[in-house]
Amino acid sequence: MHGSVYLARKVGLAAGTVFVAITLNFILFRAAPGDAVSNLSRVPHASPQLKEALRHEFGLDQSKWAQYLLYLKELAHGNLGISFADQQPVSHDLATALGNTVPMVLLGTVIAILFGVFTGTVAAWRRGGITDQVNTNVAIAFYSFPTQWLGLMLLILFAGVLPTSGMTDEFAIDPSWWAHLQDVLKHMILPSATMALTLYGEYTLIARSAMLETLSEDYILTARAKGLSNARIVRRHAFRNALLPTTTMVALSLGYVVGGAILIETVFSWPGIGRAVYQAVLQRDYPMLQGAFLVLTLSVVVFNLIADLLYFKLDPRVTE
Amino acid sequence: MSMLDVVDLEVWFDLPGGGELHAVQGVDLAVERGDRLGLVGESGCGKTTVMMAMMGLLPSNATVSGQVLLDGVDILAHGERSVRSHRWVDLAMVFQGAMNAFNPVQRIGRQIREPMELHRTASGAAARRRTNELLEMVGMPVSAADRYPHELSGGMRQRAALAMALACEPRVLFADEPTTALDVMVQAQILQQLGQLVDELGLALVLVTHDLPVVAAVCDRATVMYAGRIAEQATMDALFHDPRHPYTRLLFASTPDLYGEEPVVSIPGSPPRLDRPLTGCPFAARCPHAFDPCREQQPALATLAAGHLAACHLNTRAGVTA
Amino acid sequence: MRIVRERPAATVGAVLLALFVLMAVFAQWLMPYDPHQQVGPVFGTPSTAHPLGLDDGGYDVLSLIIQGGRISMEVGFAATVVAIVLGGGVGILSGYFGGATDTVLMRITDYFLVIPDIPLMIIIAAVWGPSLGHIVLVIGMLLWTGTARVIRSQVKSVRERVYVQRARSLGASHTRIILRHVLPQVAPLLVANTVLTIAVAIFDETALAFLGLSDPTAITWGTMIEHAFDRTAVSAGAWWAVVPPGVAVSLVIMACSLLGQAIEDATNPRLRVAHLSIRGFRIRPVRPARAEA
Repeated sequence: MHGSVYLARKVGLAAGTVFVAITLNFILFRAAPGDAVSNLSRVPHASPQLKEALRHEFGLDQSKWAQYLLYLKELAHGNLGISFADQQPVSHDLATALGNTVPMVLLGTVIAILFGVFTGTVAAWRRGGITDQVNTNVAIAFYSFPTQWLGLMLLILFAGVLPTSGMTDEFAIDPSWWAHLQDVLKHMILPSATMALTLYGEYTLIARSAMLETLSEDYILTARAKGLSNARIVRRHAFRNALLPTTTMVALSLGYVVGGAILIETVFSWPGIGRAVYQAVLQRDYPMLQGAFLVLTLSVVVFNLIADLLYFKLDPRVTE
Repeated sequence: MSMLDVVDLEVWFDLPGGGELHAVQGVDLAVERGDRLGLVGESGCGKTTVMMAMMGLLPSNATVSGQVLLDGVDILAHGERSVRSHRWVDLAMVFQGAMNAFNPVQRIGRQIREPMELHRTASGAAARRRTNELLEMVGMPVSAADRYPHELSGGMRQRAALAMALACEPRVLFADEPTTALDVMVQAQILQQLGQLVDELGLALVLVTHDLPVVAAVCDRATVMYAGRIAEQATMDALFHDPRHPYTRLLFASTPDLYGEEPVVSIPGSPPRLDRPLTGCPFAARCPHAFDPCREQQPALATLAAGHLAACHLNTRAGVTA
Repeated sequence: MRIVRERPAATVGAVLLALFVLMAVFAQWLMPYDPHQQVGPVFGTPSTAHPLGLDDGGYDVLSLIIQGGRISMEVGFAATVVAIVLGGGVGILSGYFGGATDTVLMRITDYFLVIPDIPLMIIIAAVWGPSLGHIVLVIGMLLWTGTARVIRSQVKSVRERVYVQRARSLGASHTRIILRHVLPQVAPLLVANTVLTIAVAIFDETALAFLGLSDPTAITWGTMIEHAFDRTAVSAGAWWAVVPPGVAVSLVIMACSLLGQAIEDATNPRLRVAHLSIRGFRIRPVRPARAEA
């Protein structure tokens, strides 16, 4: 198998997943019994005009199949519908929210990956020793904390020291871009820290077991026989091999990252896509919920694809 | 004093449930430049453990006693610390053919060069030249240096492993079942190559295997191990024609010869457990010639002729030939 | 049981989990107060009468924890049963039959592995409306993928083993082979997966409850955290209303993780070998008897 075949297959899987998500979205909201959108009486505070607009927009007077095709067509044009809550196009609201979410989540996740891989590697290397025990048990503890609860704990601990709500200081009058950036970063500390802490535990455990498996491989024994020191063996031979399963596992945990983002943004009122989901749930704003789900799935699929590309770079065997 | 002496080597392994497994029990070996020594026995007899102990590669649940003397200096005296500088420069090793001895994400050439650069025997362009030389020496195209391990066949990988072992011109080459998992034709080629290289480079070869025809093809002397001890040690010729330990004889009888002329006999029973102390000869329970002393007293390894040693009571009982 | 002896972490996990299960079973007798009744002042501080204080409604937090644990663990266990039956079933069918069955089932699994669980759970729960039954179904229906994958690869290797081959050549039916030969072999892994899934299910329950998607009238650890957040326990400084439910959830998840991980490690032969360790082999001085000679 050639590298291009591998890539084509991965892209195919990604595209397939997106399609499945899109279809699930349609079924859940329109075709399932008790679905939300066709039943316009469940739309909160809907004026007759809005109802009429919705009926037209969703093609509710047509067959399910026609509705599905219409839905796909609208989607292809980037139309995710109109929010029940603020009557704005969902795509517009989501774009803003996504822009707020990405830096916060990325910061937390990257820190968690770096830190987790480091502590996991050290723990595996020192297997059975005190370093391993402490590292592993702390990691299990952080893995066990419910995200929203950890957020609340940080919120209680750091209230007054760090901003605990929102993304900017609403009372700042016309700040310079520099002051604004500082303000946003300060607001980002707690949500990102919560993200990093909940993920770090899991990544430590993943990296540790990947490293342990690698250290049981025959080529590690070869490296020792060649006279390499332990540090050199870990650096030169074990690390890159241990990164392979770690990459896969981290990619698989991205769904968890997205779930975490929803909880964290709710706790810290971060105006991102997670908070949009929370508010859409409260207001039963189905178009918003549907759109947010699609965007979240899409981002997970994209990052998975990136992980696959990374794997392709790391492992010469994928073309086998 | 020989180039490499093993004196009274003992190895224990801690067992997970508590207790110890006495895997190697007082083994002495002497290896000279140019020697081709076979280390033979069934799996679990301790032959691989002896080899790993000589390179200091035992796992952390192992306890070692005894000495491994290289030019009279005990390289195991300070464990990992004292043995590491001798690895690959003095003692190198070709692992089992079935093992993944190469790192899957590094090219072959880089892995062959690595010990040269580490031990400063060659670097940069010189190391590259030497790598090509080594590959040619083992009958591989120079282009193999740019291949990943998975791109080579099993036989080619094993040749590359041989090239890697020779990288720093070691004095002793250990080979642990170097040809298992390869097909017969490839096996023969590699063995022939191995013998030839050992001669050309004047190294000592210690070949660890359960496969007697392999030993016969390459070695001139062999040590037969049973239950962690040496049962018999002699030239290949003497072992074939004048075995002085019943185990050796049965081992030869249980090996199918290439022509399949004689029926293959398997040795009944299984080796004794090594996690509890043993009285008498470890082979007594399976031995067709066992008599009273065998169950009471452990036979000592006695010199029967120049270079022929065996640990069997039959040899010391007057009038009985083993 | 060898696992318990060799791995102290497994014992800790097992004991902890057993304690919580006992607490849930005997909740009726353990609760000092009725968790549905106001028994003191709003946000009353911890005291001898109320060791964990009172919450926003003046309910006894300790009683809530005990009652909440009962419901949370019921939800977690029930969802796990759904997930394991689905995942184990898909894994066994896929691994045992291979071919087209395998391809189709694994393709579906692949999609579900990538689609983020929690958002999908949120959507389904939001569409169906808040109820504990829905929560169980939603969690169970989305947590099976990992199990399916792991079990499938194990079943594939079991299927190639000699005795399964022999049983097949002797004409045993598929059902019989699966029940008699395959299932016992994958059982330890299935158990490990069950325990690990319980942890995730309970975690997910608290997440959904936090977003207001659980039954608002039910007392669970998840709704307790939600109430603490929603009803100003945090800003009132009533940490005792927030800390206990989180600690309880964490302890159960920790117990499951320790136990599940230990079983998984014990069944993974690859983790038994270590070619590299901090401590090298030990050296025993030469025995005096031979040293003299």
